[in-house]
Amino acid sequence: MGNVLNLLIRRVWISLLVLVGVSILIFLIARVIPGDPARIALGPNATDEQVIKLRGELHLDDPIWKQYGYFASELLQGDLGTSLYTNRPVVKDIAQFLPATLELVFAAGILMVLIGLPLGIISAKYEGRFLDNLIRVIALLGVSAPSFVWAVILMLLFAFFLPLFPIAGRIHTDFDIDRTTGFLLIDTLLVGNLRAFVDALWHLFLPAFALALSGIGQAARLTRANMTETYRRPYIEMAHSYGFPGWRVARKYAFKPSLIPSLTIIGLDFAAMLGNAFLVEAIFAWPGLSRYGVAVILRKDLNAIVGTVLIISAAFLIANLIVDLLIALLNPKIRYARRNP
Amino acid sequence: MNDLTLEIIDLSLSFKGLMETTKVLHDVSLTIGQKEKVALVGESGSGKSVTARLVLGLLQAQNKTRVSGTINFEGRDLAWMTARERRQLRGTRMSMIFQDPVSALNPVYRIENQFHEVLKRKRPTVSLDEAREESTAILGDVNITEPERVLKSFPFQLSGGMNQRVMIAMGLINEPTLLIADEPGTALDVTVQDQTLRLMHDMVEERGTSVFFISHNLGVVREFSDRLYVIYQGRIVEEGKTEDVFANPKHPYTRALLAAVPSITSGDTISDVINDTSAFLAPREVH
Repeated sequence: MGNVLNLLIRRVWISLLVLVGVSILIFLIARVIPGDPARIALGPNATDEQVIKLRGELHLDDPIWKQYGYFASELLQGDLGTSLYTNRPVVKDIAQFLPATLELVFAAGILMVLIGLPLGIISAKYEGRFLDNLIRVIALLGVSAPSFVWAVILMLLFAFFLPLFPIAGRIHTDFDIDRTTGFLLIDTLLVGNLRAFVDALWHLFLPAFALALSGIGQAARLTRANMTETYRRPYIEMAHSYGFPGWRVARKYAFKPSLIPSLTIIGLDFAAMLGNAFLVEAIFAWPGLSRYGVAVILRKDLNAIVGTVLIISAAFLIANLIVDLLIALLNPKIRYARRNP
Repeated sequence: MNDLTLEIIDLSLSFKGLMETTKVLHDVSLTIGQKEKVALVGESGSGKSVTARLVLGLLQAQNKTRVSGTINFEGRDLAWMTARERRQLRGTRMSMIFQDPVSALNPVYRIENQFHEVLKRKRPTVSLDEAREESTAILGDVNITEPERVLKSFPFQLSGGMNQRVMIAMGLINEPTLLIADEPGTALDVTVQDQTLRLMHDMVEERGTSVFFISHNLGVVREFSDRLYVIYQGRIVEEGKTEDVFANPKHPYTRALLAAVPSITSGDTISDVINDTSAFLAPREVH
């Protein structure tokens, strides 16, 4: 286990370094986008004096390295500045919008693993047969159409023509739930309102499924590819020669060694959904961080852009970290490798 | 009824391709009596490995294969069993040892868990502790001095020879009546191969296990087996007691095989590759 701890510490350090790099990069890029943030924030009726005053307050006339200095020292105190769009601290905005997006992405991630991996296993077990071909077509459809297309299709089919699911939003307006954590599924349980919980879950399903579809396809295809290769390994023949039932061979002997390469991609997909959630959030009127991020980019709201991107990068890094840890735990060769001198 | 462990009568096998069917076994017949060690010798592609897999019942279920002939295992015809019944024999009444021990053991499970799984084939309720105890005992039989450490290891942490001995132990732990050894230890170096084969020899003698030994290596076969069959292009070309065949090889192919064994003492160089193989299709010789 010492190896895994070492790996964790090393990876956390590298992640922090990456985060510093990302902050510099996004800070520069946000400032290169054409347009004067102060002018956009104040609107067309503002006088030049007002604009100059705001530019001064925002340090926009200082050299860029100095600006970064201000930004970095505030960041270390946990302050991301004020949003020109909402006129509130960016940290507050993010705290409000992030849970909705995380809830959506976590739900999508769970669907991806719970549907994608079993589809891949079934596909590999019945390689070349009807079930395999069927699953491959479904997976290809999932991968090839972007999630907003699926969002519109699912919404039309299962919320409009066949009103099985609510059309939009996170929860019915009749429910008034204290937002302790911002995760509605948790908040409804905290106040013990089971009906509200079910309602929130109901609202969550379609957007999460739309967001997950490409990941489901990806996970199924990868798992199938890795598993069909594993099936040709001698240890699978050995398992068959010892008479283990077919499903046990698939689950225990072929799936576990195949999971390791799939995990990396699943982790990346998971983090990428944070960014991709935007259109799905827009279609389902989901008050999440992705929508916020796009709104602030269009407004050239510098602090909010940098804050949002930093949070999403951090999520990427955390997802990667978790995947690396899982791989280390799954793969005995990493766990028990001799440490480099 | 007879008391043969394995009786193969006129076994033929074809693989169906897209355009044509390839016949890989032509009326192969062989028998293995109780406690007998029988070798099937031939070059690669001669059909020895598929014969082993047919005995295990691994190829019958595939829709690309066409099998005819009879395989009687302990007096029961495999063809009359369901796939499930054939599977039930594997790992309990018959088991197999593979060519490359390192890649034949599952890389992500500890040796003790793999032993546990194998033991569960015979007794589904066996606990991991009981499995450990039994594995420790049988690992002692294959001269593994630190069974606790080996049981806790993953295959990649052990040497090839260790893995081979683990696999022999695993093959015998359920006391099968038939052990199929497909080119055992070919992936290992010669001394280690020799050691493990001698070990396997003693183990099966002790337990009275019949062995179906598949090899291209005549030197190994000579030491190991009681009787042997020589197979060439899916046909048995010569059969007999091991010492008889070595003393007086009758079939041209057997003679060519024996001539191909490199020898240090004779001072000869390695023999040339034979281009004219027409004589190898001569009828079967029986000693």
